[in-house]
Amino acid sequence: MRVRYSGLTFGAVAVVALLLATQPVRAQSRAETLRYVTGASVNTLDPNVPGTTREAFAVSLSTYDRLVSFGRKQLNGKWVFDLDTITGELAESYDVSADGLKITFHLRKDARFQDGTPVTAEDVKWSLDRAVTAPVLGKAQLLTGSLTGADQFKVIDPSTFEVTLPKPDKLALPNLATVYPIIINSKVARANATSDDPWAIAWLKEHTAGSGAYMIESFKPGEQVIMKRNEAWNRGTPDKSAFFKRVIVQTVPEPATRANLVERGDADITVDLQASDVQALENKGALKVISTPQYNSVTFISMNNTIPPFDNINVRRAIAYALPYDDMFKAALFARGTPLFGATWTDGKPTTSAFPFPQPIKLDLDKAREYLKAAGMPDGFSTTFSFNVGQASTAEPMAALVKESLGKIGIKVDIQKLPDAQMSTQINEKKLPFFTEGIVAWLPSTDYFYRNFYTGNQRWNYSSINNAELNALAQEARFEPDKAKYDEEGKKLNAIHVAEMPQIALWQPSQDAVMAASLDGYTYQFHRQVDYRDLRRK
Amino acid sequence: MRSLGATIARAAKRFMSSLPALFGVLVFTFLLMRVLPGDPAVFFASGPNAGKEEIEVIRRQMGLDKPVPEQLLLYLYDVGRGNLGKSLMTGQAVTTDLRERLPASLELTLTALLIALVSAIPLGVLAALKPGSLIDHGVRLFCALGVCVPTFVSGLLLIYVFYYLLGLAPDPTGRVDVFTSLPPARTGFLTIDFLLAGDFDGWWAAFRQLILPAMTMALFVIAPLARITRASMLVSLGSDFIRTARSVGLSWWRVVVTYALRNAILPVITIAGIVFSTMLGANVLVEKVYSWPGVASYALDALLSSDYAPVQGFVLLMASIFVVVNLLVDVLYGIADPRVSI
Repeated sequence: MRVRYSGLTFGAVAVVALLLATQPVRAQSRAETLRYVTGASVNTLDPNVPGTTREAFAVSLSTYDRLVSFGRKQLNGKWVFDLDTITGELAESYDVSADGLKITFHLRKDARFQDGTPVTAEDVKWSLDRAVTAPVLGKAQLLTGSLTGADQFKVIDPSTFEVTLPKPDKLALPNLATVYPIIINSKVARANATSDDPWAIAWLKEHTAGSGAYMIESFKPGEQVIMKRNEAWNRGTPDKSAFFKRVIVQTVPEPATRANLVERGDADITVDLQASDVQALENKGALKVISTPQYNSVTFISMNNTIPPFDNINVRRAIAYALPYDDMFKAALFARGTPLFGATWTDGKPTTSAFPFPQPIKLDLDKAREYLKAAGMPDGFSTTFSFNVGQASTAEPMAALVKESLGKIGIKVDIQKLPDAQMSTQINEKKLPFFTEGIVAWLPSTDYFYRNFYTGNQRWNYSSINNAELNALAQEARFEPDKAKYDEEGKKLNAIHVAEMPQIALWQPSQDAVMAASLDGYTYQFHRQVDYRDLRRK
Repeated sequence: MRSLGATIARAAKRFMSSLPALFGVLVFTFLLMRVLPGDPAVFFASGPNAGKEEIEVIRRQMGLDKPVPEQLLLYLYDVGRGNLGKSLMTGQAVTTDLRERLPASLELTLTALLIALVSAIPLGVLAALKPGSLIDHGVRLFCALGVCVPTFVSGLLLIYVFYYLLGLAPDPTGRVDVFTSLPPARTGFLTIDFLLAGDFDGWWAAFRQLILPAMTMALFVIAPLARITRASMLVSLGSDFIRTARSVGLSWWRVVVTYALRNAILPVITIAGIVFSTMLGANVLVEKVYSWPGVASYALDALLSSDYAPVQGFVLLMASIFVVVNLLVDVLYGIADPRVSI
């Protein structure tokens, strides 16, 4: 009896000791783990697959390296990516030839893939060839930096790589820092390629073969991705140190639940909460809320400039002066963002060459009525205003205000809420007369915005504007080497934009990153997701 | 034994006779998805620079470049070989997605149904024993509340109280805490897999995760079950054989449970079968609120993005489950009341 009793005591002591011993270990591993929750989901490990989600982009930034990456700068006291600072990632350094036609990359000699084999210029060549020739997303992106064919990429020696450009293109180098041109372990990828699929697109969708800071531990599409740190990764900088040993990216569809998780400390960071929740959490003050205006994006109300009555410039102007900007900004975004209305242009000239820019427009119903009269429609007309279900939380209150305000000048608006796929189809077919949308440019230079969103008969030209002067200027600005001239052209483009009023810029919504107070280093990135390598715990 | 064999044979026959209906569902959903406005290729080609070429690539990948009748034949051929196509949304085969997600939905729904039955039947019986009493009104009020409050409201409320305020429940994110390692998948039911693996900590973690969403769903379906139990118990209690049973002095328990309840249970079984099938498809709100990786939320996401294959696969799966559940209900009928034969 006595013996059994002591055995029991011993057992209890052992259990307690075990608990005490495991507790700190668990707590420590929690501190070294980053748990990121999101409403969206990761659907592929290769960001090049058509249909890739933005969350998958973020994961690929951690699992793959690129030749170069963007630096960061402070904007109103918040860290944001810096398009003008390109730092090496797999490249130790790079030289641009005097004529701007050749970029030579010197690769890091100590860089290794996650399987331990060295990264060579051959791998870089194979990866970039894939990005410009395979049926992948990278193709259309790299095109914007004059990178179009495999013959532009040359291996000089195992650690030197050269890119040749047909014209000196400012965006060639920044393009190589975007999501798509990942550097893949070509030996592994080739071994898994098939004759139907020479670029191993199917295999790389579910496997990684990179040199990035994190390795995939488990990948459940649509649910979660768990990554562990690649201890051999040495491309880090003080800004990008890859502090966390483990990163969990988890899909939590309900925004209120995400807010609860972060507030309770079970999740560390999230960037897609509802504006009202962000406001509440910010007021409570226990969490860190970093709101960065998405300065490479713009939310607008677009009119199709080819569908009557919006083909009439005075109708477009009338609408621009009849929108209740302030009320919309407060109702839709809780004023979390940068307004792009109500600017003053002295002597009617643009004050900036940057795009997006604040427009010299404000609510003025009398002016709107005058324009409507000038358009020959003093009694107004009827139209539909569309937005997609995915944006309902901001677009719904906005649409109601648009309807109310336009009603005052006699324009009758029906509100149409479309499922996302239906909306994109109708936009692509240019069937919507009047709607709201948002655009974002990874490489936010003025000419890039104008070329991609305001020229040509293509999907992203939401307003279907076709202005000869604007087309010519945008093309000219692309290869303009002289900074002063480029600014001049940018201002001209902005002036045309306001004069033609193809669409009405509203605001740049904030990216609200809500995180545990212990997190540090958050940087707003061009892809509008969290780069897990930026973060560390204090 | 012979009667069991006969039951199985008859069940199999009935299953075969429902095949044409399944085929109809298959073709109908296929056509419906194509009629709906919204082009999945355009939606999925929405990278920052996706243009006409990307849209064409996706269209070819999905086989949308072919005429609809040819697409239908190809699809039927694939389904015949057990291939439901690929989801663009998750990038996986639909069969893989469904196989991973169905057990999650089933586990949740079955637990919820169990909770609902275990609470609804006694409540209904109690209410029927004393109609018009305080208990009866209490049950009525509880049922009304359960039906009135939409599941996402009760879900968020339960999360707020048990997770956010009290901290009793684990974080409402999926089937198991992210830090727990999963057992080898045998049945796909985590609570069973953990038991089979002998991992009781894991079992506890999975059970804790399951209880709130199951309660949320159960709250919603207790009402129909309790009301039906009450109504048919009232009929049963008022019938002659109960009076006879009472008059010969049988015990209260025997009268109420053995005679009255057994006779009253038939409609409850029918309703339970219907409730189960509805719950499985309609618990999308619960799945969303608790980030439960089930089939319903999967199908809804697919529908919003016009991802054809998962929606078609989901509808086919639901139709098959409906057939099986109805069959099961009929078999249970036979057990509850030997006069009924299927």
